[in-house]
Amino acid sequence: MLNWFSSVVRLINGEQEIGRSRGFWICAFAVAVGLIVLPRFVSAYALLNYSYIISMVFLALGLCLIWGFAGILSLGQAGYAYGVVGINLSQSGTTYLALIAGLMVPTLFAAVLSYVMFYARVKGVYVAIMMLVVTLLFETFLNQTAGPQWHIGVASLGGNNGLGRFSGAIHEPPSITLGLGSRLIEFSGQSVAFYYLEVGLLIAIYLCLRALVNSRFGLILAAIREDGARVESFGYDVRAIQLVVFCLGAALAALSGILYVSWGNFITPSVFGVTNNILPVIWVAVGGRKSLTATVISTVVLTWLSQRFAIQGEYAFVVMGALLVVVMMLRPEGLITSFGGRKTSASPPLSPGSSHDGR
Amino acid sequence: MMGGDREAILQITSLRKSFGGVRAVDGVDLVLGCGELCCIIGPNGAGKSTLFQLLSGQILPTTGKIVFDGKDVTFAHPFERARSGIAVKVQSLGIFQDLTVDHNLRIPLMRRLSPREMPKAIDDLLRQVGLQGLNSVNARELSHGQKQWLALGMALAMRPKLLLLDEPTAGMSSEETRLTTEIIRASNAQGSAVVVIEHDMAFVRELRAPVIVLHLGRIFFRGTFSEVEENEEVRHLYLGTRNRFKSSDLPTR
Repeated sequence: MLNWFSSVVRLINGEQEIGRSRGFWICAFAVAVGLIVLPRFVSAYALLNYSYIISMVFLALGLCLIWGFAGILSLGQAGYAYGVVGINLSQSGTTYLALIAGLMVPTLFAAVLSYVMFYARVKGVYVAIMMLVVTLLFETFLNQTAGPQWHIGVASLGGNNGLGRFSGAIHEPPSITLGLGSRLIEFSGQSVAFYYLEVGLLIAIYLCLRALVNSRFGLILAAIREDGARVESFGYDVRAIQLVVFCLGAALAALSGILYVSWGNFITPSVFGVTNNILPVIWVAVGGRKSLTATVISTVVLTWLSQRFAIQGEYAFVVMGALLVVVMMLRPEGLITSFGGRKTSASPPLSPGSSHDGR
Repeated sequence: MMGGDREAILQITSLRKSFGGVRAVDGVDLVLGCGELCCIIGPNGAGKSTLFQLLSGQILPTTGKIVFDGKDVTFAHPFERARSGIAVKVQSLGIFQDLTVDHNLRIPLMRRLSPREMPKAIDDLLRQVGLQGLNSVNARELSHGQKQWLALGMALAMRPKLLLLDEPTAGMSSEETRLTTEIIRASNAQGSAVVVIEHDMAFVRELRAPVIVLHLGRIFFRGTFSEVEENEEVRHLYLGTRNRFKSSDLPTR
């Protein structure tokens, strides 16, 4: 038992991730405690914002995982899948089916898309371009679904007003509702319960992903990012590995999508837009694409900053864009990994979807 | 000469590869026996690298056939060739610079060893290629020669039936070249057939292996190193084109 525990600890604290010292874990524990007691000290409005910020972290973690050999991720598919199924079935009380649909639809979609891309040997920047085109197609398609003929069950797609109250629909995407015995627990977006659900998921998924990147599988991933062709020459089917990770990234993005929709009870086609696809890239690149920890920190900080700036208008995007350019020029490995004590490499900055073997 | 009495591990039959109108490899026939060692030399543009890539599966031939260990691998994917027992060391090093030496070796070893067997296997390999004690060093920080040896160690980690080496001594000092020769001979003695593609004549001489001279995508000459040296046409080929075969490399008797 003790043996098993120590090997799990070793896996979580392996050398493929920054933050391995005692000091780091003390800080991490303090942050976790801070997150748990936070609702006592902030307003309901602030908590609503923090819930939104945390829901974006999963998307960023998914992107961090696929960085280097696959392109961008969108939370949109999950948002719509959860929304549509939820609207149709929420009368039954719980949202289990909507949750399953929200996770499965984007993951299966990613499986099909990555099968087509990776098995056809699409590489490097072309993967990112294809992914961007696919999400823009979704946006274009959904934007023209304003008419009453565009509905799935009782869910009307609502054109650019999307699912939910802005399109004047009667039904809006439900909050996550789970059954506990005969009791129903609704995690409404404004509730403290929703916030705790997210904090719990964040801690669990962060630790699981740390274990993953330090496992044998994680080592192969790091190697594929550097030279996929070389990994192949050792007998690994790189295409299959890429497909699995891509699906995992999509599932994480799906989690973000589900949380986002159930947080605000609406979703619009803009989640498939260029801005919403590029922002996560900035979060991951600015913090440090090779580290989960850096990704979590920079996503939280930058989303929070964006919200501050958003009060002043659209300047947030200008600031984010400028930040990306400056960081890529001065600290191509990312701000947090550069200063985080990890030995940095002299390799050039990677754009999402590019890899060293993408010749 | 080659593939004589021993069972053949590699059989190449009229292999051709054209790029547009250029026939980079133009009808190569070759049989290599189990555990045999052979060097392929030739002036620049002779088709050596193309032949290497055809064997490793990086590119596919226009026509012809490659049979490895009784299986037709002509159009097999690189990872399938690796699984059937072909290990390669490419010219561009092919180590993972961001990872430690230990992790670099783990990648080829993981496919056949459990975590428990790993540390000993890694130490054995490091000793074999002269990098003992460097387990936790980042591959990026190794010297050029050490990087080459690490790449060689990674190929050896697969316990291959056939080891394909593309210029394993590129950029090495003569002392480093000598050590590399020993490593290759040792792994050959352990049963791996070895094909070395090389420019460095001093190294080829040291290996004392049968030599195949490639020219314009065809096998131009085959024989022992001294036969190659004494052959007037081969000398002309080298001296006439790019002076790779320096006069100092020629026999002075």
